[in-house]
Amino acid sequence: MLELEQEIKRLVIETLNLEDVKPDDIDPAAPLFVEGLGLDSIDALELGLALQKSYGVVLASDSKENRRHFASVRALADFVSSHRTKS
Amino acid sequence: MPAMMRRRVDRLGRIALQAAYDAHVDAPDAPVIFASRYGDLGRSVELLTQLARPEPLSPTSFSLSVHNAIGALYSIARGDTSAYGAIAAGEETVEAAFTEACGLLSDGVPRVMVVVYDEPVPAPWEHFSRDVAFPHAWACLLSASTGADAIHLDCADAPATSPEAADLPADLRALRFLVSGASRWEHATGGRRWRWARNA
Repeated sequence: MLELEQEIKRLVIETLNLEDVKPDDIDPAAPLFVEGLGLDSIDALELGLALQKSYGVVLASDSKENRRHFASVRALADFVSSHRTKS
Repeated sequence: MPAMMRRRVDRLGRIALQAAYDAHVDAPDAPVIFASRYGDLGRSVELLTQLARPEPLSPTSFSLSVHNAIGALYSIARGDTSAYGAIAAGEETVEAAFTEACGLLSDGVPRVMVVVYDEPVPAPWEHFSRDVAFPHAWACLLSASTGADAIHLDCADAPATSPEAADLPADLRALRFLVSGASRWEHATGGRRWRWARNA
């Protein structure tokens, strides 16, 4: 799971062009949106797309569920590991 | 511009923003006209390519593909609620921007900033126009004047001509006139002849 967390951190940085952010700067338990990393709703869509491409996970349109999955890098790693269809 | 906003801006936006930030220092309250003949065409190519494949479109690219996206980001970054415009008028983009600026000046605004930026038309559309040979951006502040250094711009009907062979894109020929001190420059395009003059 630690490895997947690192992988997702790199995906977040690369997909969202986070200049000057390194994987180690991201606390896997910290919020990704608004506070913490400070991402916004466009980032959420972009990230959803990248996760779909990389891992074959499909995000439902249920915003409550998504809010939970996107809460942190750790939550995303949990979600990806249980729903992935691509390795 | 904060890094979290800057990260979404491509080369063209970055050079336009650099010009805007540099010029705006002298009149931070001036309303802004962003003028670009082709704008961020690379994003449209990217989106249309994704659509043709078919692949999901990048939401970031989609949100930035409109012609006023760079100006909008700039106004958000500055927390600025004054007037912003985005203009594209082909070969006459600079003249259209200056005309718009004159409108704002005649409404009583003391100064207007015009930001002009373009980059080469990307593949696979490059054969439609090779006028913009390299990426560039410039900006200037305009104020109303009747003094000795005033610039006069007017427009007259002219017989349609084929475009003049030019060493620079039209916007840079306008810039050359503005900074060179030359007394006049005529820009004939389509059925119009734009006449730029100094001390007119």
